[in-house]
Amino acid sequence: MSSVRLPEIPSLSRLYLAAAGAAAKNRVTGGQRRLSLPAVRHEVHSVTVDVERLTQYQHLLHEPARDVLPSGFIHAVAFPVAMSVMTDEDFPLPLLGMIHLRNHVEHSRPIQFTEPLDIAAWPENLSGHRAGTQMDMVVEVSVGADLVWRGVSTYLAKGVYLPGIDSLRDEQDSRGDFAPPAPTAQWRLGLDTGRSYAAVSGDFNPIHLSGVAAKALGMRRSIAHGMYLASRVLATARPDGAEAFNWDIEFGAPVFLPGTVALSVKDRNERQEQWQGVDYVAWNPRSSRKHFSGSVTAM
Amino acid sequence: MGDKYLNLVNSGITKDLAKRLGLPRPAHLRRYHPGAPLVTGPVLVVGKGAGADAAASTLLDWNLDVRRHSGPKEKLGAIVLALDAIEHPDDLAAPVLETGAALKGLQPGGRVISISRPATAGDPTAVAAARQGVDGLLRSIAHELRGGATGNGILLTDGVDAAATSVTGALRFFLSGRSAYVDGQFLLVGSGKGSVPTDWERPLAGQVAVVTGAARGIGAAIARTLRRDGADVVVVDVPAAGDHLADVANEIGGTALQLDITADDAGQRILDHALGRYGRLDIVIHNAGITRDKLLANMDESKWNSVLAVNVAAQLRINEQLMSSGGFNKSPRIVSLASTSGIAGNRGQTNYAASKAAVIGMVRATAPLLANQDGTINAVAPGFIETEMTARMPLATREVARRLNSLQQGGRPADVAETVAFLAGSSAGGISGQVLRVCGQNLVGA
Amino acid sequence: MDNSSGNNIQQTAATSGQQNPADTGASGVRRKAVVIGGNRIPFARTGGAYARSSNQDMLTAALDGLVARFGLQDERIGEVAAGAVLKHSRDFNLTRESVLGSALSAETPAYDVQQACATGLETVVGLANKIKLGQIESGIAGGVDTASDAPIAVSEGLREVLLSVSRAKSLKEKLTAVSKLRPKDLAPDAPSTGEPRTGLSMGEHQALTTAHWEISREAQDELALASHRNLAAAYGRGFFDDLVTPYRGLSKDSNMRPDTTMEKLAKLSPVFGKNLGQGATMTAGNSTPLTDGASTVLLGSEDYARSRNLPILADVVDAEAGAVDFVHGKEGLLMAPVYAAPRLLARNGLTLEDFDFFEIHEAFAGTVLSTLAAWEDAGFCRTRLGLDKPFGKVDRSKLNVNGSSLAAGHPFAATGGRIVATLAKMLHEKGSGRGLISVCAAGGQGVVAILEAR
Repeated sequence: MSSVRLPEIPSLSRLYLAAAGAAAKNRVTGGQRRLSLPAVRHEVHSVTVDVERLTQYQHLLHEPARDVLPSGFIHAVAFPVAMSVMTDEDFPLPLLGMIHLRNHVEHSRPIQFTEPLDIAAWPENLSGHRAGTQMDMVVEVSVGADLVWRGVSTYLAKGVYLPGIDSLRDEQDSRGDFAPPAPTAQWRLGLDTGRSYAAVSGDFNPIHLSGVAAKALGMRRSIAHGMYLASRVLATARPDGAEAFNWDIEFGAPVFLPGTVALSVKDRNERQEQWQGVDYVAWNPRSSRKHFSGSVTAM
Repeated sequence: MGDKYLNLVNSGITKDLAKRLGLPRPAHLRRYHPGAPLVTGPVLVVGKGAGADAAASTLLDWNLDVRRHSGPKEKLGAIVLALDAIEHPDDLAAPVLETGAALKGLQPGGRVISISRPATAGDPTAVAAARQGVDGLLRSIAHELRGGATGNGILLTDGVDAAATSVTGALRFFLSGRSAYVDGQFLLVGSGKGSVPTDWERPLAGQVAVVTGAARGIGAAIARTLRRDGADVVVVDVPAAGDHLADVANEIGGTALQLDITADDAGQRILDHALGRYGRLDIVIHNAGITRDKLLANMDESKWNSVLAVNVAAQLRINEQLMSSGGFNKSPRIVSLASTSGIAGNRGQTNYAASKAAVIGMVRATAPLLANQDGTINAVAPGFIETEMTARMPLATREVARRLNSLQQGGRPADVAETVAFLAGSSAGGISGQVLRVCGQNLVGA
Repeated sequence: MDNSSGNNIQQTAATSGQQNPADTGASGVRRKAVVIGGNRIPFARTGGAYARSSNQDMLTAALDGLVARFGLQDERIGEVAAGAVLKHSRDFNLTRESVLGSALSAETPAYDVQQACATGLETVVGLANKIKLGQIESGIAGGVDTASDAPIAVSEGLREVLLSVSRAKSLKEKLTAVSKLRPKDLAPDAPSTGEPRTGLSMGEHQALTTAHWEISREAQDELALASHRNLAAAYGRGFFDDLVTPYRGLSKDSNMRPDTTMEKLAKLSPVFGKNLGQGATMTAGNSTPLTDGASTVLLGSEDYARSRNLPILADVVDAEAGAVDFVHGKEGLLMAPVYAAPRLLARNGLTLEDFDFFEIHEAFAGTVLSTLAAWEDAGFCRTRLGLDKPFGKVDRSKLNVNGSSLAAGHPFAATGGRIVATLAKMLHEKGSGRGLISVCAAGGQGVVAILEAR
């Protein structure tokens, strides 16, 4: 695997622009796709976070404004590095319109905002999905020699079928089986949820910004960022005492904006002294369609 | 509430206009305030005998300028007409005519006060005739007085000394601005009881008083006046009037007791509050009253019953509880509010007039029951008083009612309050079972 | 294993509770804090009689009524503590400003407290503690709330722009800051009754708890009916004559419906927990409406009360606050008193049998009934409260006997003062015994307290 060292965190808007350019070029030239993931990792060293942006993020996500970095914030900080990999010319899947399927994060210890972060991102596991092709983006964040945060995001390129990669048509759509539990919380998400999160995460993916932009990309309305939902549920579900933890989220139906999300957060073993973990699930209170589910567990 | 007419005829162009047109010209009354002089000029004492001597000596004690003979064109603050020694109608002529000669010198806000003895069935006929003659005489003088001057009489029961405490008290009351709206009235001193206060400006110092119906109007004025005169005051009114009641309590530094006086235990609750908070109860003012006017032909049971229940039955029950309690027996004072309607009757007020007349009956019968404890009970009967209630009367009716008295104006709640405060004081200890009207010598029920 | 250690802790607490810690201090016997009396204005449904009245208006009125009742004009009280849940930023010194506007001495110090719906009770507890410690001789506790005159905040966007403008030094900087204003920023941000961490309204939270404890619609309606009837009866016999002072033409709580019936209550449709289907039992009839009002309680040392010939109605014996984790779904939002009461009683060596009156704030009928159900549930008491047997049964004939919030209404911070003054008078009238107060509060909190008759 080769390694590309970026001088700094790349600009997401420039990357989106590049991705749009590539998409247009592909449409015009019908350019040939690669059939495998590039064996490359992109790295940025000694990243320090902007404390003002951190505070804004914490306010938006209902996180206590501590000096340690929320797990979702680290994802946001590292995301351009992952984007940089996905906008690489050699990358086999089109970035725009890619769907975030799930996320798995191992958060090993509290990370102070003053600590310099070394960030590395690379792709793995190109594989079939009943609706297209999926792959994992791995992001590792280290402080010195310590790996402090590791995230695996699984994305789906819908409708993209690559030769030699079987689509998994037998995977069940479990949407109909879901019976919502009693909610423990309810989020009312305004039209500006996408823009507000874009402002603190830097993720200006147009499908989150406005209905018009979303329609241009085939969505009925703008939708909430998956990572907004993930970060917010993490802020709610993770007890303050949990310093090293894993968290998982699996995304279902998108959350259209504005919208209301019902949420159930349940402690796995409420009477144990030692915290074990929390399971959560969120759904649309009208249609009972599941938006996402997952867990936060002790490491 | 304000009497605009009174102000008009007493100022500027409209004053002259009223004079030329011969319109009634009510005067601004001389009212009491702490520090005010007792009278505005020299006091002429007319007449012979114990009453004249006692009055002159009392007035001198108060450092007043006392004259036994009037000088020519002398301005006088008051005339005391002592007729207690007369034995025949012929005895009236000299003092009365001397008084008449002096009247022209009586200043605005001046006073004519007679001192005499009441005619009774046991009197020699000539004595009785002479004594009763004073009644018509004094009331007529009062009618003739102008400029806010008033005429009132002190009656001494046979056996009561002319120097009795309450003669002194009544004399001072009638001389002062406290009696501004009391006109053409007689007050009977029935015993030598009572005591002169150490400070005439704070005659109720150290006393604890309860005033019912004190949230507004006359009741609130009574509470203020009793407080000004030195009493600690418990103000009582129905719970629904509690906000106004609290305002009054806070204004005068008293305590508010929200209580429906028709409650069975109202007397006990009043007593508990007064003894609990102040350790004593000296004065109870039954002021709370309601009107539910209706011609008798249209009167329903609830209108009749509620008026009688509040205006008299509650007073009877409270008095009974207080008097049997053992906590209200050191020179207790009760003053009940009656009404000129209770004396003269009033169209549309059968219930109200009955209740107020009943109060007068109650007062007369209760007086002997309190005598052993040196207690007194009296009634005050207001005439037309400018209150929120009268402000709601139709304009024409109100104007007629206002002018229908010798002072040609309505009284103020404070005028009633002054009379109540006087009767609640120690110097009125010899006056009990009496009804004193505060009506400006209203023609109704005279 | 865990349970047995829990029992041990409980027993230890009960043993040490034989001696009331509230009565003893380092210097031996600590003095008592007593309830002298109270005053409140009638509670009005929001948008009603007090639609134009501010928190300061109402708190001042309640203070003035108290001053009038007890002759405190121009008196320097040790301290006045009160608060409001919904508070304007201009009311940062609400209680002190109210004192300045009242008939009390301007030399009376004051401070604000905010513990959501427990504010009023907490002011009583705090001042009682100061009295017990000898720091003050007298205190006035209180609370006020208006949903009619609730603060409306500017949007976050407008707020940021305004702050930037005020920080900007040059005109150019100011213009730049203003240029960031967007039309949507001009929409006001109205307060919501939702819990910040869950976004669920209090009613929605209680609906979950009510369903969990399987509290029936009928049981809730019965409690609401009893509340209205008890309150109306108390007014009828003059019980509130020396507890309430009219305000703005209102002389009784405007939410009170003396003539309501089970049939009328049964006609109302559920307003909370509608997604629960059959479990949707909470209606406008068995939930408290938004209410405006204010209450005050006069507290003092025994010496203070005696030296001023003021009545002593009850002792403030002890109190305990509690909180639950509702965010992670561990417990219902309004269940904190369920946990606090057993701790309080154990510390004082008491059981539910030792009480003559229970004043359990009726945020919702379901709250009261869930509380009672939890205390009677052996499994819950064992696993959650660490008790080896059920905490106990509350004799319903001793519960909220003069009505509670379902009938009177619930101006959040004013409820504690209403309950303390009411209970103190009830105890004094009875002449002996104890009362337990339980008030639940937003944020998963609750405060419980014990009063004893004098």
